[in-house]
Amino acid sequence: MYDIRLENVTKKFGDFTAVNDINFTIPKSSVTVLLGPSGCGKTTLMRMIAGLENPTQGKIFFGEHDVTNVPTRRRNIGMVFQYPVIYRNTSVRKNLELPLLSEKLSKQELDKRVDEVAEILGLTDVLKKFVEELDNGTRQKIAVGREVARQPRIILFDEPITNIDLTSKLELKRSLKELFGRLQQTIIYVTHDQTEAMTLADQIALMQDGVITQSDSPKEIYENPNSQFAGWFLGNPGMNFVPPQFISVSGSKVSSKMFSQTIDLGSKASSVDTFGVRAEGISVSPSEIKGGVKARVTRKSIGAGGQYLLDLAVENLLVKARVSHSIGRSVSENVWTTIESDSITFFDKSGKAI
Amino acid sequence: MAQLALDVKGLSKSYGNKVVLDNLSFTAAMNDFSVVCGKPGNGKSVLVRTIMGLETVDAGSIIVRGKDVAQVSAGERNIGYVPQSFALYPHYSVKENIEYPLVLSKASDAEKKEAVERVSELLRIKDLLQKKPDQLSGGQKQRVAIARGLAKSTDVYVLDDPLVGLDFKLRERLIDDLRKTQEELKVSFVYLTSDPLEALSLARTVMILANGKIVQQDSLDVVYDQPNSIASMNSLGFPEANVLPGELSGTTFTSVLGSIKVKMDTNSSKVVAGIRPEGFVVGSGSGSFDGKISLLENLGSEFAVYFNVKNTNLVTVISRTDNEALNKVKNKSTTISYKPEAVVLFDAATGMRVGQGVSHV
Repeated sequence: MYDIRLENVTKKFGDFTAVNDINFTIPKSSVTVLLGPSGCGKTTLMRMIAGLENPTQGKIFFGEHDVTNVPTRRRNIGMVFQYPVIYRNTSVRKNLELPLLSEKLSKQELDKRVDEVAEILGLTDVLKKFVEELDNGTRQKIAVGREVARQPRIILFDEPITNIDLTSKLELKRSLKELFGRLQQTIIYVTHDQTEAMTLADQIALMQDGVITQSDSPKEIYENPNSQFAGWFLGNPGMNFVPPQFISVSGSKVSSKMFSQTIDLGSKASSVDTFGVRAEGISVSPSEIKGGVKARVTRKSIGAGGQYLLDLAVENLLVKARVSHSIGRSVSENVWTTIESDSITFFDKSGKAI
Repeated sequence: MAQLALDVKGLSKSYGNKVVLDNLSFTAAMNDFSVVCGKPGNGKSVLVRTIMGLETVDAGSIIVRGKDVAQVSAGERNIGYVPQSFALYPHYSVKENIEYPLVLSKASDAEKKEAVERVSELLRIKDLLQKKPDQLSGGQKQRVAIARGLAKSTDVYVLDDPLVGLDFKLRERLIDDLRKTQEELKVSFVYLTSDPLEALSLARTVMILANGKIVQQDSLDVVYDQPNSIASMNSLGFPEANVLPGELSGTTFTSVLGSIKVKMDTNSSKVVAGIRPEGFVVGSGSGSFDGKISLLENLGSEFAVYFNVKNTNLVTVISRTDNEALNKVKNKSTTISYKPEAVVLFDAATGMRVGQGVSHV
């Protein structure tokens, strides 16, 4: 297996720069998710790795081999698309076997490969079925299985879950997670869905306007976003941003009426412009607390696991706070909030984390 | 009491032998955000079409602002409408697209100008007014479509799943926009969706649609905490509530999770239990069992933990900061317990609530 290395890779379509001078290494035998909003360049980047688009500038290496000008069919990659690519009017087993026939394997070896893949993907019980009998989540599993069985060195996934029925999505996610845990291949997965990315990735490469703005583990990128964009994009809701008028800087000390205590940032204090805090980083109390700042509850809604999301107005600033079901249920007009220092990320004027 | 925006009574509609709306009733108040939610295939589309006058009814009344419009043509009902699929006219500018419903109702130029200003401000599309639809992103198109639906100056609007298929971050933004719009206009929004997170994010009042009926109508808090039916529990909650088959014997309910004592409000011989994800606790306690972990879904602030007990698939939720629980669920299997009072019993035939758990046996 090998790393994939991108060197100054740029792709232009006319005046539009889809991918802008990317230098990045995708580590071997791991799952890298290219995540970002529509138009960020993630699909174009993946298509260049596949050889379906040629870079306008730059080079792509698989290990030590420069593959920039190598055609797709000679790159030894597997690809899974939004819609399952499978043969109709044939059984699941035949579908998994067909891509292997050119390899002239023994019957025994052929069966072994098919059975193994079917087992990992939970297709063992449907091997004899025709694809027409199966829902589109299972069909997508077959498409995945066909690529995996060929044992390519790299497998690319282009939003494989996006167009699958709601009822099959979870099962497909489960199978992919299981599969990724067992494969040795280098996997690149493109999606705009943060939950999918956070669930499946070893590392997330977050993209915006043709560049990779941060690449880190899901935990790291969620807890320590390096930009306001990352803070906003990850999380549901995204991070709250608090503007300069709520912050005062004196020497190395940064304080805010919203903080539980003053924070010493050393020499970095002078570049503080805003701070970010996640909805769950705001502590909320239904009754007045020492050092707490009063906030008006403007809306209530419910989120995952029955927690409440409160829309709070601190003077003219609107923030969202995530609280337990019992607190959310009981509060009505006013609450008191504080923010602990470990929940705060500072940003400079350009939106970069400090 | 203030006049109701919408009062639907005994609405019925069948196609041949297939009953789609079955004596369906609900009310929507003025200045409220009401969400009708239910699984797909429960009659949502037909309900929208009958309210809008695009489909006749077999029986029942549709009272808009105190007047029954069930026999009134669509054009005269004076209800704003944001349809699910939002085909914009490709040759018209954004402004012309927004004005179109007003052109149909022969509004004056002044009225059109006022409407375009109002909705383009609300949905933040002022800069886009001169553009053509093909110059817009998906989210911008959706905002234009919503603006077109809101352009008609009225006080009752029906929104049919307008955010379906949009990506995550866009939906988050539009959810805020829609709530703000309803609050600023102080009108009645009746919003239909099959997405539980959307319902939980938008609703002040919830109506649960199941089998062509509204089975429960109440505030968001009450429907969430006191679901009167398995449909209510399942349609409103994320991740979706767990369904737990089991046997009732006297006041003991036994399932794959073991036995609990229950308190029955209504007699029932055959029951099914529901338990919300937050009814489980990762770790040992009374009534604990072994769960095989099948997937950790990372939702950001928390993890949905999917697990399996004797071939029954279940889900719970833990916080990302709960390191102790997180370490446990990273294993292949772990001990999980549950709160007996989180188990709600429903009659297997009617789906209605009949009792609740009290204690472990």
